Amino acid sequence: MRILLALGELSEAERLVPITSAHVSGASYKMIGDPGLEFLEDFARDARVVVPTTVNPLGTDLTQWEELGIPPEFAEKQGRIAHAYETMGVRPSFSCTPYLIGVRPSFGEHVAWAESNAVCFANSVLGARTNREGGPSALAAAIVGATPEYGLHTDEGREPTTIVHVRTSPRGIDFSLIGLVAGERVGAGLPFFDGFQASEEDLKWLGAALASSGGCGMFHLDRVTPEARRTRTKGLRSITINRHDLVAAKRSFTDGSEADVIALGSPQLSGDEVRVIAQRVDRTPPRIPVWVFTSRIVRDANSEAVAIIERHGGRVLADTCLEVTLLEHRFGTVATPSGKGAYYLPSLCKQKVILDDIDRLLERYA
Amino acid sequence: MKIRARRIVAGRAEGRALASAVPFSFVGGADPVTGTILDPTTGAADERLAGRVFVFPHGKGSTVGSYVIYGLAKRGVGPAGIVNASADGIVAVGAILAGIPMVDRIDTGGVRTGDPLILDGDRGTVEIPGVRATPVVSVILRNRGRILIVRRSQAVGSFRGHWSAISGHLEGREDPKSRAIQEVREETGLRGLAFRAAGSFVHARNDSTMYVVHPFLFDVASRRVRLDWENDEYRWVRPEELDRFKTVPRLNDVVATVLR
Repeated sequence: MRILLALGELSEAERLVPITSAHVSGASYKMIGDPGLEFLEDFARDARVVVPTTVNPLGTDLTQWEELGIPPEFAEKQGRIAHAYETMGVRPSFSCTPYLIGVRPSFGEHVAWAESNAVCFANSVLGARTNREGGPSALAAAIVGATPEYGLHTDEGREPTTIVHVRTSPRGIDFSLIGLVAGERVGAGLPFFDGFQASEEDLKWLGAALASSGGCGMFHLDRVTPEARRTRTKGLRSITINRHDLVAAKRSFTDGSEADVIALGSPQLSGDEVRVIAQRVDRTPPRIPVWVFTSRIVRDANSEAVAIIERHGGRVLADTCLEVTLLEHRFGTVATPSGKGAYYLPSLCKQKVILDDIDRLLERYA
Repeated sequence: MKIRARRIVAGRAEGRALASAVPFSFVGGADPVTGTILDPTTGAADERLAGRVFVFPHGKGSTVGSYVIYGLAKRGVGPAGIVNASADGIVAVGAILAGIPMVDRIDTGGVRTGDPLILDGDRGTVEIPGVRATPVVSVILRNRGRILIVRRSQAVGSFRGHWSAISGHLEGREDPKSRAIQEVREETGLRGLAFRAAGSFVHARNDSTMYVVHPFLFDVASRRVRLDWENDEYRWVRPEELDRFKTVPRLNDVVATVLR
C-alpha cells in the first residue's frame, strides 16, 4: 500500500482505482538474479494477491531444463522464484501473452500489468486501461487490488501525440518493422497509425516492437482499434513510414550472417501460430533447429504440432521466452521474425541477430 | 544550511554524502552484495554505499533495481539515506521496501561527496551543517534569441574574471524579482524589461558557501549595455555557446531552468 501511495504521489494521481487483474514481470532468474529471488521469497512469507494475477516467463522451461543444458543451480533458483509467486497466489502462467491464454480484460476495465507488449495489447487492442508497470509496482497493485489513477488510466492520457501515416501495405514481418520504426520516432509518445488494416495477431507484433524501441504503452490504429474513433488528432505532428523505412529497419537490426537457430517468440506464440509453423516446417524442413517459445497451456493443447516441430529437429519451449532464457551458451547467431527479439537479443543475450520474415528464413535454411 | 525537500520515505539519516551528477541504475551500477559503486560515470566508483547519504538526480534502468536496493539494505550495506532531484518509481519503491529515509525535489548539484548530511524524511529537509547558504538572483536577459553574459571584474569579491549572468545578493526578506530588476539597471543600464520566467532554485557550490540561485528570464528591447564597476566586458551569445566560456559554476543549469 505504501508503495502505491508513494507512486501515486510521484505521479500526482488523485486516487487509487480498483483493478480487475494484474500481470507481474520479473520472474526470470537470468533477469532478476539473487536480489529478486531474495525479495520474492521474503515477500511470499505473508503477501497474498487479491485479484487474478498472472506472471511473466521464467528463465527456462521447467520440464526441459536438463536437456537444454541449463546449470542445475540456475534451475534450482528459478524453481524457487516460481514457487514464491505461486505461494503469493499468482497463477503459474509464465507467459508474456496473458491475453492469449484467457486473461482478456474488457473495454474500459482498469488493470495493472507489467510486461510492455502485454500493456500495449491490453490498452490498444482490448481498450482496457493500464500504465506500463514495473515488476514491483504491479505486484504491489496485485496485493492491494488497486493502482494509482494517472496516465493511461485517464481519458487525457490516452490521447495520441503523433500521427503515423503508413504508406505501404504491410504483411508478415512488416508489422514488427512498423513498430520498431515508430517506436524510435515517437519515443514515449502515443502514436495514431493510419493507412493499413491489421488482425489482432498483427497488432500483437506491432505493439511488442513499438514498446521495445519506444516507451509507448499504447497506440491507436485508424478504423481498427476500439478507441481510435474518439481521439483528437487535429493539429498533431505527423510522420510517415514507407517501404524504404521498413527495409532500412530490417537491415539495421540484422548484424549476423549465418544463423545457428531460427527462434520464434518474444512475444510467445499463439496456438494458431504454433500450428502454422508446424505445417511450414513439415513442408520445407529446415537444416538448422527451429525453436518455438509459447505458453504451457498452448504447448499442451497442441501436442500434434509440437511433435511435428520436434521431429524436424526443433523444440517447443514453454514457461520461458526468447531473450529471458539462456540461449547464449548454445547459439551465437539467432534468426527471428520478432522485432522485439531483434531489439533485445544483442544486449540481453550478447547475440548476433538476423531479422527477417519467417517464410524467407525457412526458405533460406531449407 | 537547511534545504526544504519533499518526503518520499520517513525517517532520519546522518552520514557523509556520496554524490553522483548523473542518473543511477542500481542494476549493474552497484555490487548487490557489497554495495560498492561500479558505474564509473558517477564519479564515485569504488566508494561504498554503507552509511552514506546517496545523492543523485534520479534512477534509471530496470525495475529490478528496487529489489537490489532491498537486498543491499537487508545485508547492511545499503545507503543510510537517499536524496534525489526528482524521484522515480524504481528508486522510490526500493527505498520503501528497504525502509531507507528518502526525499526529493531539491537541486542535488550543489552537494559534494564527503559533505556531512542530515536527512530528515519526516520533515522533508536536508541539512548540510558545514555549509552556509547565500541567496542570490541570477538574471538571464534575452534579445532576439541571444542572452547577455558579463565578465566579472577584478573589483568584485568572488569569481573574478568568470563569465556570469547579471547577478546580485539578496538581502533579508527582499523580493527576489525586485532585486533582479534593480541589478539589471545597475549593471547594464537597460530598462523596459519584460518578465518571462522564474526558474527553480539552483545550488551552486563554492567551498563552504552554497549560492542558492533564484533564476529569472527577462526579454529586453535593446542590446545597448552600459557596464558598471562590477563587470568589464559583455557579450550577447546563443545559449549553446556557453560551453566555450569560463563561467561561474552552473550557469548552464541556471539558463536551462528558465529557457527549456
